[in-house]
Amino acid sequence: MPLLEVNHLVKAFATVRAVDDVSFRLEPGEIYGLLGPNGAGKTTTLSMICGLLKPDAGDVTVDGSSFWNNPRRAQRIMGVVPQEVALYEELTGRENLEFWGRMAGLESATAKARAGELLEALSLADRARDTVKKYSGGMKRRINLGVALMHRPRLLLLDEPTVGIDPQARANILEFIRRLCGEGTGILYTTHYLEEAEQLCARIGIIDHGRLLAEGTLGQLQERLGGDRLFVLEGDLAGAQAEAWPGFPERFRKLQQTDRQLIVAALGTRDPAECLRDLLAFPVHAENVTVKRPSLNDVFLQLTGRDLRE
Amino acid sequence: MKPGFQITPARGGKSGLGVLLAKDLRRARRNPLPFLIHLTVPLVITALLGLVFGGGGGGTSSGPGKIKFAIVDEDDSVVTQFLRGAVNQGRAAERLQPVFLDRTNGLAQVTGNELSAVIIIPAGFTRNYLTASAPVTIELVKNPAQSIYPAVIEELLGALETGLNALSRNFADELTLWSRVFDRPGGPDFRVVADQIVKTGEKIEAIGGFVNPPRVSYEKETRDEETSAKGPGFNLFAFLLPGLAGMFLLFLAEVSVRDVYREIRLRTFERFCTLPQSIRLFVGGKVAVAVVILLLGAAIMLGGGGLILRIDWRAPAAMALVGASYALFAVGFMMLLASIAQTEGRADALGNVVAMALGLVGGCAFPADALPTFMREHLTPLMPPNWFVEAIRGLQSGADAAWPWAAVKLAVFGVALAIIAAWVLERKLRTGVRA
Repeated sequence: MPLLEVNHLVKAFATVRAVDDVSFRLEPGEIYGLLGPNGAGKTTTLSMICGLLKPDAGDVTVDGSSFWNNPRRAQRIMGVVPQEVALYEELTGRENLEFWGRMAGLESATAKARAGELLEALSLADRARDTVKKYSGGMKRRINLGVALMHRPRLLLLDEPTVGIDPQARANILEFIRRLCGEGTGILYTTHYLEEAEQLCARIGIIDHGRLLAEGTLGQLQERLGGDRLFVLEGDLAGAQAEAWPGFPERFRKLQQTDRQLIVAALGTRDPAECLRDLLAFPVHAENVTVKRPSLNDVFLQLTGRDLRE
Repeated sequence: MKPGFQITPARGGKSGLGVLLAKDLRRARRNPLPFLIHLTVPLVITALLGLVFGGGGGGTSSGPGKIKFAIVDEDDSVVTQFLRGAVNQGRAAERLQPVFLDRTNGLAQVTGNELSAVIIIPAGFTRNYLTASAPVTIELVKNPAQSIYPAVIEELLGALETGLNALSRNFADELTLWSRVFDRPGGPDFRVVADQIVKTGEKIEAIGGFVNPPRVSYEKETRDEETSAKGPGFNLFAFLLPGLAGMFLLFLAEVSVRDVYREIRLRTFERFCTLPQSIRLFVGGKVAVAVVILLLGAAIMLGGGGLILRIDWRAPAAMALVGASYALFAVGFMMLLASIAQTEGRADALGNVVAMALGLVGGCAFPADALPTFMREHLTPLMPPNWFVEAIRGLQSGADAAWPWAAVKLAVFGVALAIIAAWVLERKLRTGVRA
């Protein structure tokens, strides 16, 4: 039984469909990445999963029960790490953990003990008595994550938990998340960082303009491009109509074309050298041709026609 | 970092209002400035007003303090010496603090705001007055930087002028004789002085039938008598402080309640909504925290202020009850305003303006009697701050038995407003309002 099942979620604000028929599922001990640019609908999707927003249509099932049939039960199972740091700056790290633990339903003694464990685990024990306003960005992010873990949730929703922190702090948090996953926690991880999704997530859903365009493992998504290689042709491509070149549609799929660059994927299983020869034979002055492994960005490029980093 | 714990379902705990209350009071303690400002300002204003108009903080002090003014005696005669002595004696000495200077120093001290006024008795004043040979004029120079004290001196001088004129018209012959007595070379002949006193006395005795008993008189009731019978007398601080407390408790409620929007802005409210708790608990927690802060505020303003300003509150238990009811009203009212406002900025502006208006119309800043007739008769009695202020003042004067009704009205009103506000706020928060 999946830990989380999202079925045909729809949410509109006025005339804008922020989330449009999004469906996916998450198993225990799995990290599912929701990858998309800012404004793609990731946070809105996550808000509907945790009950902050009620969907216009569709359903969220948590541990076999519809969320809206029994929100309290579902919320006891899940922990939510919001994108922005949501802590009381006047309270210490320990006080924040204890307060949110109590609000999550823990007894006072349990909350105290759990806060101690988490402060150790998050390497913040020595700063436990400092108020949060004295913490660095990375430390705040760690407490922000710790708050969601106080009641030992089986499902963890992470909304871009590493935004705005330094690489070292990011690496620490990612490592912590991997370990949580290893202990059986199901994690929904939204991000717009390609590298994070590639390194962390077992399966990835690519979302843009509220629609889930594709999902699968990294390999499955790369496979969508028709193989494990992409060819980048550089030269004077202004006005060139690649699809009109003789033999092009049969052998290649265009991913992106600018005045200086053409990125294509080879169709079928052909030898790379043969593909290179085909490319150089096209009626265009090629200055350089390179071969690379397709990235998530290329998948996004193929799906949306634009770069995720734009 | 390592997770370092077993993942097992958390046990349900008895978290609730107490946890929210403790959290918010801790936050308020760590960031007390907004609350301190609203607690300190009424005390400072009351102390300033009391010191300016009350002449000190003594439990039974009343009326203005001593008026410091200069007398410039350029005549330097027996009569002016007598007048100079008179202002230093008896009841006058309780209220007046004359200093005797020359013209230059007197005017310099008025300019330097050290004196309220200068009275200049010109040379030849006594001769001209006693002989009625020429009109006499006493010069008054008032300090333009002060308003009340110079006006009091002017009134006193007006009374003196009336008295001297009456004396001159009714005792013209005697005054002429007195003039001769004073002008005698080698000083007054005391046998003549004694003879003059007898003659003047006989004349006064003769007109006694015309003035005694007086046809018109007044009775003076002093608060001192009441004090000995019932308790402390009128204290200006005790009159001012409830009004200012009434207004500033509204401001304090506004500051406390606005924390709802701060929680929305900081996303801590959103985080709360992801937990298995009711929004009603969140709103209830905010109401409870605000009421506790207001009760502390009322205790500091009225209790602490009473100690600092030496106010002898006559019915502290009843006052505490009225204060608690008013705290409920203030929180309920401000919570409703905050729930209607869509943003923190609007809630701030709306709360402050409405608190100010409510306080002014409710007679917090001015005595209700001083307000325009329409306001006084039709609006002020409807204002809950007025119920609070009048109940406290009534308790202090011992003349008001209506405080229980005021307390009940305030409490009922407050609870009703808080319930409506919680309902409105819950609806808005549920639909995802963002500051």
